[in-house]
Amino acid sequence: MIRVTELTKGFDDLRRGWVAALDNVSFEVHPGEIYGLLGPNGAGKTTCLRILSTVLRPTGGSATIAGYDVTTHPTEVRQRIGFMSNNTGIYDRMTAWEMVEYYGRLYGLSEDVLKRRLDSIFTTLQMHDFRDTLGAKMSTGMKQKVSIARAIVHDPPVLIFDEPTSGLDVLVARKVLSTVQSLKDQGKCIIFSTHIMREVEKLCDRIAIIHKGSILASGTLPELQDKYEQPDTEELFFDLIEQHDGEEARSSKSETRRANGDGLSVNQD
Amino acid sequence: MNWKNIRLIFLREVRDQLRDRRTLFMVAVLPLMLYPALGIGMLQMTLLFTEQPRTVVILGEKHLPQPQLLDGDRFVSNWFINPDDASKLKVITDGSANEPSGDSAADERQTRLIGQAKALRTRVDEHAAKKAELDQLEVELRNLLKAAPTNAELGIGAEAATPVGQTTSSKLTELTKKIGDLKAKLVVIDHDLSDLFAASQIQVLIVVPDGLKENIERVNHLIAEREMQSDGLMSYPRPTIVKNRADDKSVVAYSRVREVLDAWEQEILRQRLSSANLPQELPNPVGSLQMDLAAEEQLSANVWSKMFPALLVIMAVTGAFYPAVDVAAGEKERGTMETLLICPATRTEIVLGKFLTVMCFSVSTALLNLMSIGMTGNYMLSARGAGAGAMAKMGEVSLPSLPALAWLLALLIPLSALFSALCLALATFARSSKEGQYYLTPLLMVSIGLTVFCLSPAVEIYPVHQASWFYSVMPVVGIALLLKALLLNPGNTEALIFAGPVLVTSIGYSLLALWWAIEQFSSEGVLFREGERFEPALWFKHLLRDKEPTPSFTEAGFCFVMIMLAQFASMRAFGQSIAFVAPEQMGEAMMRLLVIQQIAIIACPALFMGLILTTSVRQTFRLRWPGWRFVVIAALLPFTLHPLSLELVASLSWFFPQLPEGAARLMKTMSDHGQPLWLILLSFAAAPAICEELAFRGFILTGFSRNGRTGLAIGISAVTFGVMHMIPQQVFNATLLGLVLGLIAARSGSLLPGVVFHFLFNSMAVVRERVGTALADGHMEELQQSAWRWFVSIEPSGLRYGWPTLLICGASSTLMLLWVARHSQVQTCSAASHPMFADKLAAVKTIVKPQA
Repeated sequence: MIRVTELTKGFDDLRRGWVAALDNVSFEVHPGEIYGLLGPNGAGKTTCLRILSTVLRPTGGSATIAGYDVTTHPTEVRQRIGFMSNNTGIYDRMTAWEMVEYYGRLYGLSEDVLKRRLDSIFTTLQMHDFRDTLGAKMSTGMKQKVSIARAIVHDPPVLIFDEPTSGLDVLVARKVLSTVQSLKDQGKCIIFSTHIMREVEKLCDRIAIIHKGSILASGTLPELQDKYEQPDTEELFFDLIEQHDGEEARSSKSETRRANGDGLSVNQD
Repeated sequence: MNWKNIRLIFLREVRDQLRDRRTLFMVAVLPLMLYPALGIGMLQMTLLFTEQPRTVVILGEKHLPQPQLLDGDRFVSNWFINPDDASKLKVITDGSANEPSGDSAADERQTRLIGQAKALRTRVDEHAAKKAELDQLEVELRNLLKAAPTNAELGIGAEAATPVGQTTSSKLTELTKKIGDLKAKLVVIDHDLSDLFAASQIQVLIVVPDGLKENIERVNHLIAEREMQSDGLMSYPRPTIVKNRADDKSVVAYSRVREVLDAWEQEILRQRLSSANLPQELPNPVGSLQMDLAAEEQLSANVWSKMFPALLVIMAVTGAFYPAVDVAAGEKERGTMETLLICPATRTEIVLGKFLTVMCFSVSTALLNLMSIGMTGNYMLSARGAGAGAMAKMGEVSLPSLPALAWLLALLIPLSALFSALCLALATFARSSKEGQYYLTPLLMVSIGLTVFCLSPAVEIYPVHQASWFYSVMPVVGIALLLKALLLNPGNTEALIFAGPVLVTSIGYSLLALWWAIEQFSSEGVLFREGERFEPALWFKHLLRDKEPTPSFTEAGFCFVMIMLAQFASMRAFGQSIAFVAPEQMGEAMMRLLVIQQIAIIACPALFMGLILTTSVRQTFRLRWPGWRFVVIAALLPFTLHPLSLELVASLSWFFPQLPEGAARLMKTMSDHGQPLWLILLSFAAAPAICEELAFRGFILTGFSRNGRTGLAIGISAVTFGVMHMIPQQVFNATLLGLVLGLIAARSGSLLPGVVFHFLFNSMAVVRERVGTALADGHMEELQQSAWRWFVSIEPSGLRYGWPTLLICGASSTLMLLWVARHSQVQTCSAASHPMFADKLAAVKTIVKPQA
């Protein structure tokens, strides 16, 4: 369902010059699976997921979702994904119902399908109480529910969650996680980024530990624990990061990262 | 493009805006409430103003001649043009002071005022006496000087020569001293007078001298008897009116008193003439008649034609301003932007939906405002009978006619479209609503500037004049001026010829702005700008440390701005440096200046920036050998393109405003035979060819084409190249040439063909004028008989080309340009120098296939 091959994204930064936010990242996610991207803040998780949702363009490599390339067929990709993050806000001056309905229409659902879909989503997520509340008046928990409803209104086969629980209180976070779990049970292909170990342990079938734009390790949690002989997820995570930082410090002395000089010219004559 | 999505987004945004109290307030509440409120405020102000009568004191009332001037404590109302004005002046006289009115406070005030007036009168009399004395002394002095001018000169200058001279000179000194003393005394009196006047509550004081009535009657009688020989017939004491021009209250009261006294004096004159059996027209030997052709509706049309275009522009921009900030920057700020970006609607659809929303609000704001202003204005003026006397002078103002309103609407739409797209693009760039407002303020200021320009009565599109066509294609200005002409006379079919260019260019500008907005919306750098703190030192370090082989887009833009600023800053210095040059050396001085200007202002900024900001000067300035075929074509093209460009500009001469004097003078030096050819070629051809190519095809084009869109880069660099030339004709010409030069530079990957082309092209212009004038001397007839006449002709301005020449030139130019466009000698991939792009290079290699 999701196939990421050598995905690279660089950008210009005032302080550090050219920075690779994502450096040759490859992985695959299958239907009925939750793939966890575990990494500290600034590791490149959001960049990676934004590329998958076609909002950013990669500078190298490729990514396909349900067979469509994110750079060449962005519209087809967007039709097939539901994206939710702590950045995807909801409109202040729209009610819960209007908001989800609006996105349903943008996804091209016909009116009667949309009506049925809205009813079932509002029921499963228990949103009927505040269907006519304006976004500005909602609590954080309500907002998060609307965001989820918005992301799944067109019943996409692929779901992308970018730190969906960050900034939520424990009760709301628990509800969000259980929703993700139930979506997996419906056979969706889910990619889920977080920096919270507990969520990974609870939800994810396979994980990738990502740091400074590179995947340090990937596999199922037991596989990783065996491979690195570290039964504690948290310790495993910190060990890998420390090891990577140490290697980088050593290599940066011997090698200058930036190439210099003239651009390459391709003679055509 | 999916119209359903655009409609969905549009409807959602409109609903969102309508639910926003701020927008509703700006768009609907403000116009509907503000103008009536202002109107009421104005009415109240005028009422307050009229309720304050001014005090006029008349001393010597009993000496006033007939007809009756006063009626109790007012002037008789029929001396006023508007009889109501009588209540605005309260008259106190020394006659009425004796009759107690019963109101003790009023009586007391009256007595006080009379007391003040009398104190003033003694000073006034003193002033009059001294003034009379002074006048007499001055007459004496003048006579003395006339009698012995030479002596007087001697007397003042050196020792006196003769006894007669001596007495004269002593008399003179005495007189001068007396005059000086008197003047000093007068100053003291005047000072006293003005202090007293300021301390009093009198706005105007009229002092009527004793016996005025008798004197006038006496003169009337004498004139009736035709006994006017006596010398001092008219030299009786006249009344004095005291006022203070620096005090507004006094000025207003005086203007009313003046009105009354003039009317009254006219009546006295009329009586005098009729009692003497003289014609009434006696005092007006010329008495010209006045004829005013302004009809009522024309007067009102004039008011609207001045007001509406200006208001329309300002309202359209303010109406676009707030919704644009809200739908673009506001959406980023609230975090809903990313949500919207991942829905299936494309960026173009999103922008169009938002653009239509902004435009909808811009149009409705403008219309609501105009409607409200029109209604309020009309109501206030129609209500003026009910007391708003202050506005009586404005004339009848009816609403514009229906055709005029239709035009208003038709022109409002492209205007709003332009502003909406511009606002949207700027607001998209902003990270927050606050930032959006900062970016949009300059747009507001520019529009207000343009509006003020259009308000000037000298700026108009109709009647057709030299700059009409040029104005008609300028953004905003064209619309405003056309509207001005159409509102003045809605049936004006002649002004309608401008409707085509105005509408077409306005729509063009709107589309361009819309395209820019879409570009902004598609740029991830713009959409995901981080809220970083701006640190100039850090940024500067970044510029120098993380240099790349070629300049960035921003650096190229900055280079252009630097060149423009340098040009602006040096304008004065250059102007001054040739201001004092002798005319015969003018040509040479100007040419020297031209070379300096090219090097200092155009080449230097680009070269410095290239050296400092990039790692590869070679690549930035395209310093490499091109294929020989490019050089050959670059050398041939000027000969085919120059006739085309010349005839094109000549055929469009009706369109552009006249050349400014300075530029015309510079052009003349070009064909001046007194100047050596090499100097002219150096300053007009060689220097621009090298300097302008370095800057515009070197640094700027390279920078603009960094993100891989060569076509766009050529377009922008051509426009910057054009704009740098300042004068409209040259801007047009240079932009077209910029396209050709850009294409050659981009395809050959070298600066050299461009330099060759530029040099030859400019040389052609120089040589053409010289050859033209040289040929005109001798070979004129020869030419006219040969077959050549089909191809070239000679006119006073120089060599001109016939249509067969143009046809050949056009065909060969097209062929050569097509060849250039199809042959890319080098694909410079500057991005490839970065390790990050190693994989992209492979893609480039596969995409760009050899075409030769």
